[in-house]
Amino acid sequence: METNHSSNIWTEKYRPSNFEDVFGQDEIVKRVKNLVGSINIPHMLFSGPAGIGKSTLAIIVAKELFKEFWKENYLELNASDARGIDVIRQEVKNFARTKSLGSVPFKIIFLDEADALTKEAQHALRRTMENYTGTCRFVLSCNYSSKIIDPIQSRCVVFRFKLLEKKDVAKVILKIAEKEGLKIDDRAIQVLYEGSEGDCRRAINLLQASASISPIITEEIINILLSSAKPKDIRVVLDYALAGDFEKAREKLLDVMLKESISGTDVIKAIQKEVWNLDVEPHIKVKLTEKTGEIEFRLVEGSDEFVQLQALLASFVLVGLGKN
Amino acid sequence: MTTPLSEKYRPNKFSEIMGQNLAIDKLKAFFNSFNMKLAKKKAILLYGPPGTGKTTLAHVLAKEVEYELFELNASDLRNRAKLDEILKPSTLQKSLFSKGKIILVDEADGITSTEYGGLAELIALIEKTKFPMVITANDIWQQKFSLLRQKCELVALKEVRYEIILEILKEILEKEVKNVELDLLKSIAAKSRGDLRAALNDLQSVIYNNNIGEFNEKDIGEREKNLDIFNAMKNIFKCKTTKETTEAYDNVQMETDQISLWLEKNIPTEYHGEDLARAFEALSKADIFKGRIYRQQHWRFMEYQNFFLTAGISAARRIKSNAESFTKYQQPTRILKIWMNNQNNARKKTIAEKYAEYTHTSRKRAMKDFFLISLILNNESAKKLDLSEQEKDFLEERKNSLRVMHGLNRFAEKKV
Repeated sequence: METNHSSNIWTEKYRPSNFEDVFGQDEIVKRVKNLVGSINIPHMLFSGPAGIGKSTLAIIVAKELFKEFWKENYLELNASDARGIDVIRQEVKNFARTKSLGSVPFKIIFLDEADALTKEAQHALRRTMENYTGTCRFVLSCNYSSKIIDPIQSRCVVFRFKLLEKKDVAKVILKIAEKEGLKIDDRAIQVLYEGSEGDCRRAINLLQASASISPIITEEIINILLSSAKPKDIRVVLDYALAGDFEKAREKLLDVMLKESISGTDVIKAIQKEVWNLDVEPHIKVKLTEKTGEIEFRLVEGSDEFVQLQALLASFVLVGLGKN
Repeated sequence: MTTPLSEKYRPNKFSEIMGQNLAIDKLKAFFNSFNMKLAKKKAILLYGPPGTGKTTLAHVLAKEVEYELFELNASDLRNRAKLDEILKPSTLQKSLFSKGKIILVDEADGITSTEYGGLAELIALIEKTKFPMVITANDIWQQKFSLLRQKCELVALKEVRYEIILEILKEILEKEVKNVELDLLKSIAAKSRGDLRAALNDLQSVIYNNNIGEFNEKDIGEREKNLDIFNAMKNIFKCKTTKETTEAYDNVQMETDQISLWLEKNIPTEYHGEDLARAFEALSKADIFKGRIYRQQHWRFMEYQNFFLTAGISAARRIKSNAESFTKYQQPTRILKIWMNNQNNARKKTIAEKYAEYTHTSRKRAMKDFFLISLILNNESAKKLDLSEQEKDFLEERKNSLRVMHGLNRFAEKKV
C-alpha cells in the first residue's frame, strides 16, 4: 500500500487496499470480509468480467489476513501466461513447501484467469489443490464460471461479481480526477464508461492516457483513443475480397493480424459479425456465414490459421464474382 | 586410405570440366568485371545439386588466374566469432604470395540464419570485401537466403548429363587401369542422377572391392535428384492431373510446410474465381490433415496431406491452361513478414511483460492495451517497472509517433 501510493500507474496507485474502498460489490465484500474475520477461509472462486475488482479483492484478503507479511504469504499466478499446468504446479509446489509467516496457518495462492486452462489442466489443478489444502488456500478467478470444471467449483465458495454500474465507475473516475487535478465533465465520463464497457481498469487506463495528452479530459480525446485502440480493418479485407482482389485482401489480412496481434479465431469472430453488414442478398449472407463457421471449425482441426483464412477469403471472392 | 576418385581427378583447368560451359563463362565474366571494378555484385553464388562441380569451379578459377584461394567450409564455421576471426583479416589485407585472393565460402546451406548470426556476418562480409567471393550452395530458395540472393550474382549448375558421366567414368577406369563391365558402369551413371561425385564414389566402391561379382545395383543408393520447386509447381499448375501428379514433390528437397507456402503464394497467379476457391479448399484440407498428424501422431495422414497438395490443387483447375506458357513463380514472403513483425514486437513484449507483472494483469491483456499503456508510462513509472534504456527509447519513440499519427498534440496546449 505504501509503494502503491507513489506509483505512477493509476490502476495501481488507486487500487483499493481495504474492504471499505471497494466500490460496487457490496454483497460480496461483506461475505468475504466475514470469512477473513473467521481466519479459516475456504478455497474461493471469483467469477465475472474483467476490471471489476477480482484481483483487487484477492489482494485485500491477503493484506487483511497476513498484515505486514502479506507479500511473503501471497502468490499470484496468471493461467493465461504460464506455459502449461506443469509450470503452475511447480510454482505452487515451491511456494507451498515452506510454512506461512505469522500467525495464520496457511498461505494464499491467487490463480488469475483460471478459465484459460484446458479441462485436463483443470483436473491436474484440482489434484494440486487437494495436495496442498493443509498449507494453502486457493483463490481462483475466471470470466465465466461455466468454463471451470464442476469438481473445482464444488471445492470452492463461488462469488459472482457484478458488472460495475455507471455510478460506481464515475465515483472512481471523479476521485482520481480530483487528486490528479484534472478537469472532466459528465459527457466525458459517459463516454469513458461506455468505451470501457464497465471495465474499471480500462476506464482508468483511458483516463490516464487522456491525461498524458491534456489535463482537460474531453469526449473528443477519449473517442480518438477508443477508435485508435480498436481494430476496424476486417471490413476492408472483406471489401477487397468481394471486389475480386484476392491478393490485396490476404495481404491486408496478414497486416491486420500482425499489427494488432490478433489470432485467427478473433478474425473469424469479426468476420462473422461483419457478414450481416455486407451489401449482399440475405441468402448469400447465410451461405457466407455457413462457410465462416466451417472455417472456424477447421481452425481447430488444422495447423496453419492463415491457410484456413485464405480459403475463406477465396470463397468470398467467388461470391463477389457471382454478384456481378 | 585411398584418396577419393572425386578428389584425385578433380579438374585443374576449365578445359577439363565437361558440361558446365555456361556456368564457366559466367564465372569468368564475373571475375573479370570484378577486377575492372565493373561488377555490380561482389560475390557469385554457384548453386545446384550436389556433385555438379560448384567447388571445383572455384578451385579451377583460382588456379587459372593464379590467385590464392582462401577456403571456408561454412559447415565448420557456424558462429560469428569464427567467421570474424577467419574472414575479416583476409578481406582487409592483400595476399602476400600470389596476385590476389579469392574467397570461397563452400556449402553455404550449413550457415545458420539467426542463432549465431552466420548469415548476417557473411552478408556484411560481402559488403566489405576487397576480394571476389565465390559462394556455393545446394538450395538457395530457402527463406533464409533471400538477402544473400540479392547480394550475389546467381549462377545455376545443372545436373551433369548421363552421357558425360559415363564418359568420365570410362576415362578414369582407363587411368586407374581397372576393368568394370559396361552394363554396371551404365547403371552407376544412371543411378547417380547427375551427381558426378556420387558416381565416382560408387565406381570406387566397385573397383576397390575385389569381389565385383557380388556388386549389387541396390548398393548404389538411389540418388535423389533435386528437381527444383519451379518444375514441381509447373507440373502441378499446368499439367494434366494424373497419378504421377501425386509424386510431384518426391524430388523436391524441401519441407512440406515450405512447399505449402510456395503453393499458397502462387495459386492466385495461376487460378481465378472458382478454380481459386477450389485450390484453397484443397490447401485447407491438406492443412487439416497436417493438424491431425500433429495432434494424433497418425503419420499415415501424410498420404492425404500430400494428395491434396498435389492432385487436389492440380485438379482445381477447370479452365484449361497452356502447359507451355511461362509463369514466373514467386517465392513465399509470409514467414519473412511474420518474422520481421516479431522482431518489431519483441521490445513491446518485454515492456508488456513488466507492466503486466507490476499491475497484476496478464501479458495478453497488456499487449492488447499496449496503445494506452505506451501513453501512460512516463519516466518515473519506467523506473518502477525497471525498464532498460532501449525499452525507454522504444516507448518514447512510439509515444511520439502515436501522438502525431492521431493528431493528439493539438490538445496539449490547453491548461486547466
